[in-house]
Amino acid sequence: MDEQTRFVLRRIFKKIPSRNIEDLLKNWNCLTADQLRALDYTRPKWTLVENIISFCEERRLNLKHITNLEMINRIKNPDSDTWHTCQLVEAQDDALFVELTQFKEQLKAYLEGVIRHISIKIKKHEDEALWIRIAWGDNFSKPNHLKPTYVVHHLHTSYVFICNLVAKHKILLYQALMVSTKHGSIKDAHLSNRSLTAMRTLLLRHYQQVFPNNYSRILDEGNTCPSHPCIEKEHAAHEERRDQLASEAFGDSPTLKLETAVYRLETRYRGNVKTTFSDEEELFRGVVKFSSTSLLQSLRHCVASGDFSYPIFLLLKTLTQI
Amino acid sequence: MDDLTQQGVLGHLMALERGGLARQDPHQSEKLEMLIVTAVTLRTKRDQLKRQVEDIKILKDKIKSGLPLDDDDEGPAELQRSLLTAWRMQLKDLQHAHHLIGGYDVVECKEGRSVCVCFHTAFEGVYLDTYNMELDMTRTVQISRHNIPPSIPLERFAKQNLQKDFKAFLETLSQNLNALAARKQQLSLIKELVGSVEVMESNQLCNTLVLMCKAQGETFAVVLCTLQYRDLAHYLPTHVCIESEDETLSESEQWKKNRALFLESPAHMALLTMKRMGSIV
Repeated sequence: MDEQTRFVLRRIFKKIPSRNIEDLLKNWNCLTADQLRALDYTRPKWTLVENIISFCEERRLNLKHITNLEMINRIKNPDSDTWHTCQLVEAQDDALFVELTQFKEQLKAYLEGVIRHISIKIKKHEDEALWIRIAWGDNFSKPNHLKPTYVVHHLHTSYVFICNLVAKHKILLYQALMVSTKHGSIKDAHLSNRSLTAMRTLLLRHYQQVFPNNYSRILDEGNTCPSHPCIEKEHAAHEERRDQLASEAFGDSPTLKLETAVYRLETRYRGNVKTTFSDEEELFRGVVKFSSTSLLQSLRHCVASGDFSYPIFLLLKTLTQI
Repeated sequence: MDDLTQQGVLGHLMALERGGLARQDPHQSEKLEMLIVTAVTLRTKRDQLKRQVEDIKILKDKIKSGLPLDDDDEGPAELQRSLLTAWRMQLKDLQHAHHLIGGYDVVECKEGRSVCVCFHTAFEGVYLDTYNMELDMTRTVQISRHNIPPSIPLERFAKQNLQKDFKAFLETLSQNLNALAARKQQLSLIKELVGSVEVMESNQLCNTLVLMCKAQGETFAVVLCTLQYRDLAHYLPTHVCIESEDETLSESEQWKKNRALFLESPAHMALLTMKRMGSIV
């Protein structure tokens, strides 16, 4: 193992909290059972890491194994960096028939054809997600394994999630994705999140949506307080209707965590305002930012309790429709 | 008192008996009268209800056959009620028939400004997932929300048919959803029922399936079956490719028949048949 590999390994372990190291090494499956047993997890982290490095040297592991370790860690903990979403549009006729092997070969061929030194690793996860790790070099220098780009894509869907991509490589990656998935163009979806899980849940519709039907009566079992027989809720029907509207617009799922939403606002002043604006009817432009620990849950609560008027509700309910 | 003591104990007892018997009779006859009256009232009520049911049935048949209703059918409140009941029964029957011929559940919401269509999927007599779609009908028909899986090319179908031929749009979508559900179900049935076959590759759209089987024989050669579903509205594959290290095996008559089995029957049935016939382990 050369100095660079050791350096990369140390940097990888620096970012991993000590409590995750044991499981990670087991999943990695590159150290022997004896070596795993010999590791003492009660020691300070830097001692532990040095022991692991010496074991790796004994096993003659190389950069390929190390990058595999990083990838396993990243797949297990995807929510630690900011992810951006892109959308593939203009699907060609046979875009739905792109097979996995075809996609892998074409992506690798395109990128390796342009940049001489590049390291690409593609893995398929059990939930049909394709994880791609790219360490960029250029025609003269070796790939930089300290700042790899990660791409997550579900074949035959139109969304691609990217993390850690610099502007220099953006066009190249976009073109490679377009060619390998047989789409005409790719655009930025203006959706970023630290939690990849939440974004995937939203865009791939893995959450429970509520639709109106003849038999729906949302029984919020968690919220029924024991009611006294002499007390009658006058607004029970209104409350139910508001609850139903809120669930339809914002979903009923606690796993869907959006933290910020930014709206562009363009409006006009209304009313008898005797100011300099009135002549030109100039548009008032601004930006409105909503933030919360879980935006959809809080909006749902506001709507269900009647804090928002209907016009505002109509504006906000487009939040889940990308 | 003197009389009683003169008559003696027996006499006293006989007097009591006489008194008791006399008291029972009016009680009994009263009860009997009451029961007779109740019976008569119930009979008249039963006859009245029978007549009402007959009237409603006649009205319902008239509505069904489209005959005009007579003027004297409307009038007193009772007959109005019968009319309404008859209409309701007729509409319920129509709804049931609609479901039987494969109609879609459509719910009107937001006071007629949008509708919500419900797509049910089923395969081999088992109901699978249900998908919903809300369509905004104010100016042009537009899709506002849905929970259709992203691998279905919804935009393409919408572009083709949504404005021109709504029914065709629903039909295409329903076909694709049913086919997808059927393919997914076949995949899970393979995993469940045919344990010896390994699924090497599949995807969300379930349009490619690669299976690894072991052929029965002295050598237990490995056979790779690739099933491609190029027609996404169908649950049977369009191309089947059989590959094996043993060249003669893939060319043999038995495997040509197996290939035909894959093309004609659902994947899990084909594999079970092959297992039964002894071609695979």
